[in-house]
Amino acid sequence: MIRKYSVLISLAVLAAVMLVPFAIVTLNAVRSPQDYSANGPLSLPDGLHLDGIVEFWNRVDFGGKLWNSLLISGSVAVLAVILSVLNAYALGVGRVRGRVWIMVVFLVANTLPQEALVYPLYYLSKEAGLYDTRLSMIIIFTVIQSAFGTYLLASVLGRFPHEILEAAAIDGAGKWRALWRIVVPISRPTLSVLLIFFFIWTWNEFFLPLIFLISNENQTVPVALGVLQGDKMMDATMSSASALLGVLPAVVFFLIFQRTLTRGVTVGAIK
Amino acid sequence: MSKVRTGAVALVTAVALAALAACGNGEPEAGKPTASDGPRVLKLWHYESADGAMGKAWAEAIKQFEASHPGVEVRFEEKAFEQIRQSAGMILNSDEAPDVMEYNKGNATAGLLSKQGLLTDLTPEVAKRGWDKLLSPSLQTTAKYDDRGIMGAGKWFGVPNYAEYVMVYYNKDLFEKHKVEVPTTFDEFTAAMDTFVEAGVTPMAVGGAEYPAQQIFYQLALSKAQRPWVDNFQLYKGKVDFHGPEFTYAAETMADWVKKGYIAKDSAAIKAEDMGVSFMGGKYPIVVTGSWWYGRFASEIKDFEWGSFLWPGNTMSAGSSGNIWVVPENAENKDLAYDFIDITMKKEIQNLLGDSGGVPVAADPAAITDPKSKELIENFTKLSGGDGLAFYPDWPAPGYYDVLVAGVQNLINGSKTPSQVLDEIAAPYEENLADLGN
Repeated sequence: MIRKYSVLISLAVLAAVMLVPFAIVTLNAVRSPQDYSANGPLSLPDGLHLDGIVEFWNRVDFGGKLWNSLLISGSVAVLAVILSVLNAYALGVGRVRGRVWIMVVFLVANTLPQEALVYPLYYLSKEAGLYDTRLSMIIIFTVIQSAFGTYLLASVLGRFPHEILEAAAIDGAGKWRALWRIVVPISRPTLSVLLIFFFIWTWNEFFLPLIFLISNENQTVPVALGVLQGDKMMDATMSSASALLGVLPAVVFFLIFQRTLTRGVTVGAIK
Repeated sequence: MSKVRTGAVALVTAVALAALAACGNGEPEAGKPTASDGPRVLKLWHYESADGAMGKAWAEAIKQFEASHPGVEVRFEEKAFEQIRQSAGMILNSDEAPDVMEYNKGNATAGLLSKQGLLTDLTPEVAKRGWDKLLSPSLQTTAKYDDRGIMGAGKWFGVPNYAEYVMVYYNKDLFEKHKVEVPTTFDEFTAAMDTFVEAGVTPMAVGGAEYPAQQIFYQLALSKAQRPWVDNFQLYKGKVDFHGPEFTYAAETMADWVKKGYIAKDSAAIKAEDMGVSFMGGKYPIVVTGSWWYGRFASEIKDFEWGSFLWPGNTMSAGSSGNIWVVPENAENKDLAYDFIDITMKKEIQNLLGDSGGVPVAADPAAITDPKSKELIENFTKLSGGDGLAFYPDWPAPGYYDVLVAGVQNLINGSKTPSQVLDEIAAPYEENLADLGN
């Protein structure tokens, strides 16, 4: 009994600790700058002051940034999952020669910091005429995310029951048909989780979009948030307003898909 | 359950299709316009907020430019400081480069790009349009870079449009309450702080975790220094003895001020933002920081009267030109860029910059109407007229900012003696000198 309560209490404390930053951001997002300067960031605001949010929205054309982020993250999520499935099918089920080494290469690719990739990618995209386009981000992140996806999926598919595939083969299904009719439907929970992770990870990417999306009309949400951080000055209330706007879509997305997510995570555990 | 799943797949597919469609027809318009088709375009970037002094003045400059250049479209984009800082080199090396942009002055920024050949040499335009006559010598320092990309001499690669300097802001209400007069000498300054300490008030808000503390340290060193010392330290014209009278005095005085209670012992962990907020909240009578806080103080302090004065007893102060206009080598319309810079240097625009709380470089002080702005600009004129801008202590070596933050934190915490701190900050400076071959 005591143990049960202590777990509950520690979870509650943990949840509170996680939520405090969100609470502070929300508090300051609806505070006027004067109030912030006079009373500091932790007091309750004197009134609802939504100018910061509205002004930020208009200043950076937030609707446009949302669309760019949605476009890039959505495309990357779908394309990276497809690419990962194709790769993983070859590596995990197809068992191509030298697959261990290929997997090692993918693993190493995962550990590469983005800073190391910047210059090569910059020159490639400039040569291909893709510098400062959203397409460049979609291609780059599709590859980056599918490196992880391939690594993960290949080990999942490596343990795919061969009896099922053999049965399908006896029934006359080719490799292509087996992939789309058997492998993909059965591993759908894992794929949905990957899709959601890819979406959220790409949504939150800052560094590469900062470098590659030069024009304001191509920029994503996290890059737009950077506009508020100056050389020596920061605008705390407007930064909070922008942070709130920036984090909301990811939270909404998470809430919509969280059942898929928990199902995908627990699917292995039930087995 | 399966409804949710179908919905998800449908949503994602819709997004993907839209993505492909948008990528397909988005390309041509994203490409840059060429001179041959349509009206000419001036592509202008800066990263000042629209309601700040520079933002307001430059918006007016854009209007005037459009009026005097019919048929030219100004395509202005407000950029993120971080984006320009991270990727200016890459942008300027591509054909996405703007025609004119605001960029950070200094060896590691404008100096580096000039060395890489990414910036246009503005020397002929400067002479032709007389910009050099509008700028005092210490403002010109940050506009000129030599072949090694070191500022101070050589060709013009930038034009500063505003300036900044470090001053003492004070809370008039607290000064009155404790019957303290505005100090005019260094002794009066310390006497004023003694009065506050006796009354149980910590006099100075200090942000030890960021730039403010090192600027106080530098102000103290400057009180014992002459121009040649600054030239030696900043422009490598000669050797600097870190155990010489200037830095020794600064380190010992700083440590002493913490002991006397002028500076709170816990300030080592305070950020600049928190320092400013605590001053605006009326908790401290004094804060020593730069003119970049001026606009915010002016718009956000409502509960008390405040003012500013130069660091008492100093003829020099930390300060410099603000960021500079640069014209990328790859710019397509350099002539338009020069015309635009010329407009921002005009008296009208400069006066507007001054009236909005900025420090103009070529304004007419008599034309400034706002009394507080007048005080700000008159103090600057006093400083720059006496060739008193001494730049910032973290400029001379790459990564020196963090060295100084750590050093001054040790002084405030008392974890190292002043002499040890001087050794600590001397080493990276000497290493950089060796790298430069001096």
